[in-house]
Amino acid sequence: MAEFLRAYLTVAVFAGAAGLLVALLSTLGWAVRPSRPSRQKSIAYESGVDPAGTDFGQSQVRYYIFALLFVLFDVEAVYIFPWALRLEGYGVFGLVEMGVFIVILALGLVYAWRKGVLRWV
Amino acid sequence: MPPVFDTPAIDYHAFAPEIAMVVTLVVLLFVDLVFEERGRWATATVAGIGLLASVVPVLSLAVDGADRSLFGGAYVVDNFALVLKALFLVAGYVTVLISTDYIADGDYYEGEYYFMLVSSLLGMTVMASARDLISIFVALEMLSIPAYLLAGWRKRDLRGNEASLKYYLLGVFASAVMLYGMSLVFGVSGSTLLVDINQAISRGVDSVPLVTVGIVFIVVGFAFKVSAVPFHTWAPDTYQGAPTPITAFLSVASKAAGFAALVQIVFIGFLGREDVWAPMFWVLAALTMTVGNLIALRQTNLVRLLAYSSVAQAGFMLAPFAVAADIPADRGGVGAATGAVVTYLLIYAGMNLGAFAVVMAVARKTRSAEISAYGGLFAYAPGLAVLMGVFVFSLAGIPPLAGWYAKFVVFKTLLDAGTVAAVTLAVVAVVNSVIALFYYASVARQMIMEPAPEAETARVRVPGSLGAALGICAVATLAFGAFPGLIAQLGDLALLGVLP
Amino acid sequence: MIAQNIAFAILALVATLAALRVVTTRNVVHAALYLVVVLASVGALYVLLAAEFVAAVQILIYIGAIVVLFLFGIMLTRATIGVESDLDNDQRWIAAITGLFLLGVLTFVLVESFGDDQLPGLAGVSREELTAQRGTGAVGDAIFSTYLVPFEVISVLLLAALVGAIVLARRD
Repeated sequence: MAEFLRAYLTVAVFAGAAGLLVALLSTLGWAVRPSRPSRQKSIAYESGVDPAGTDFGQSQVRYYIFALLFVLFDVEAVYIFPWALRLEGYGVFGLVEMGVFIVILALGLVYAWRKGVLRWV
Repeated sequence: MPPVFDTPAIDYHAFAPEIAMVVTLVVLLFVDLVFEERGRWATATVAGIGLLASVVPVLSLAVDGADRSLFGGAYVVDNFALVLKALFLVAGYVTVLISTDYIADGDYYEGEYYFMLVSSLLGMTVMASARDLISIFVALEMLSIPAYLLAGWRKRDLRGNEASLKYYLLGVFASAVMLYGMSLVFGVSGSTLLVDINQAISRGVDSVPLVTVGIVFIVVGFAFKVSAVPFHTWAPDTYQGAPTPITAFLSVASKAAGFAALVQIVFIGFLGREDVWAPMFWVLAALTMTVGNLIALRQTNLVRLLAYSSVAQAGFMLAPFAVAADIPADRGGVGAATGAVVTYLLIYAGMNLGAFAVVMAVARKTRSAEISAYGGLFAYAPGLAVLMGVFVFSLAGIPPLAGWYAKFVVFKTLLDAGTVAAVTLAVVAVVNSVIALFYYASVARQMIMEPAPEAETARVRVPGSLGAALGICAVATLAFGAFPGLIAQLGDLALLGVLP
Repeated sequence: MIAQNIAFAILALVATLAALRVVTTRNVVHAALYLVVVLASVGALYVLLAAEFVAAVQILIYIGAIVVLFLFGIMLTRATIGVESDLDNDQRWIAAITGLFLLGVLTFVLVESFGDDQLPGLAGVSREELTAQRGTGAVGDAIFSTYLVPFEVISVLLLAALVGAIVLARRD
């Protein structure tokens, strides 16, 4: 097996071991625990108080903007990794190009802030 | 030890139009953020000046004349790119002019509106120079995503939402299909550069089915963009539901960008595989002309009529692709087909933007785009009626208006090719020109012969910027028709540069 | 090579089954979660091809961001989070036939073109060579040379998308 893939075999073995451990412990728990189901026990746990309303609450569109901002900077991060890795190689040229990239994206954050969508209401 | 990185040489003159547009975008955003309501009126001016300022480097590059190839041929500034960049910028400027009062009256988000418009135009100018698959794809998304949003700019209007959603869903679907095609072509050629792809796929007969599927998928993606039948279904609903200036923008600039991409991909990347794409373009062209025209005949709403007419016009622009490879070299070869497409685009931009500008001017009074609302226009607003007449008869291809020369160039390429398929397509095009005359003339008949509905004969007040847009379009339509030599030179110039 | 093939078979199977569940499940939230499985399997396939950066991007962007957006989208709309019976419509058979046809065509062209080809084996290639050829740094070199224009355009694209989304989402 190639050296590269052998390194990932470790990852696979760890993943398998973790899964096995979960299965083992759950089976053990299932085997030794007493089983007395009741209606009370199957109610959703909401910090001790009885749950109110249905299981679905429509969320506000405001949260979607946060998610979108997250995507924006997630994509930015993806471009920063390869740049950071070869930072010295790219030198001033890379700094300028990445600077332009980040500044333009940061304008999005400024826009969101000025339009008040970041305010926590 | 990591390999040494060679910093690519950057020719800032070649990027000057794009840099000017990015600066315009930043200024627009700042005007909107800093001055808020007080700066609203200024945003249209900033956008207009920014676009005109971006034309300056295009002209200086044209005067300089040398073809510039950057990043190993991924980004090329040649005469083709410059002519199209100028077209996009001027069409964008006219769109700003016709938007000014519409958007200011409607209490829409002005700063953001012009920001989106200039972003979309930035994608188009990049598209004109993009000579590799990734640049083409990013440019396509850059021009499309703001367009999806602009189509739904009237966000409380159900038709506006429908327009935006249909355009968006079908648009991303077409992008996905095209991207898959690109991945297949890349798989065969191992390069994203169009020149390399051309060498790889025209060389041998290996993996014929794969190349075929790749080419078909990519062409289908752009067929959606230029609303070729059968990928046109979004166009009428989107055109009707979008704000009218955006409809004009989509039907002219967005369509031109789709053709710019097609010309580059097909005439650089896929040249030598015309066995795959020539029949496909033949079918697309014939279907697009015919179906667009037949449905246009039955429309009662002028915006929908212009939507279908613009579908039909796209058919004429597709026709040169179908015969490009059959044009003998002494008659210009593929270059003649490129010239025909560019010439048609330039002329079509003027007359179609003009027609939409008249629709907007009239709608300011009648609040309607129904054809029946145009009754008696000649009596109470003779200037607008004459202009409308000029634009629709130009679209129909009546000499001496510019539209006839556009059609003439297309017929010339078809007859120069001289094959049976080409001549058949020419016959289809002639029949369609006649059909089109019916509905274009019916608009004129309504304006002159019918009485005004409810005897509404107050004067139509045309605001200054809309008047300027009408003037630019009318001058272009008349001048290009009377002196086709002007446009012929531009069309001949617009050849794809010789690539390294 | 054998280990690679076995791993590919397992991952491809998981991805395919999960993808089928995405379109057949009657619960939209489950569909989004099955999509995570599909995307993660594809990410693992990139690792098998020694494209670690692409694999990381796949996890970071698609699972970390896109699926999150999907879930937000579901919660924004009035879709019920639970089993829904009217998710299917009459076009599903046409869709199935189209899908199968496309699968047939693509399988044919891919097998016809690449059926006998073999990927260059990873055996005997040192970690350093791999990194130099297709590591993150190599991706960076491509971005900052050939693809510099798309790279900068993407920043404007993301900005435009954000501004547009805020305009659409604002209540005023």
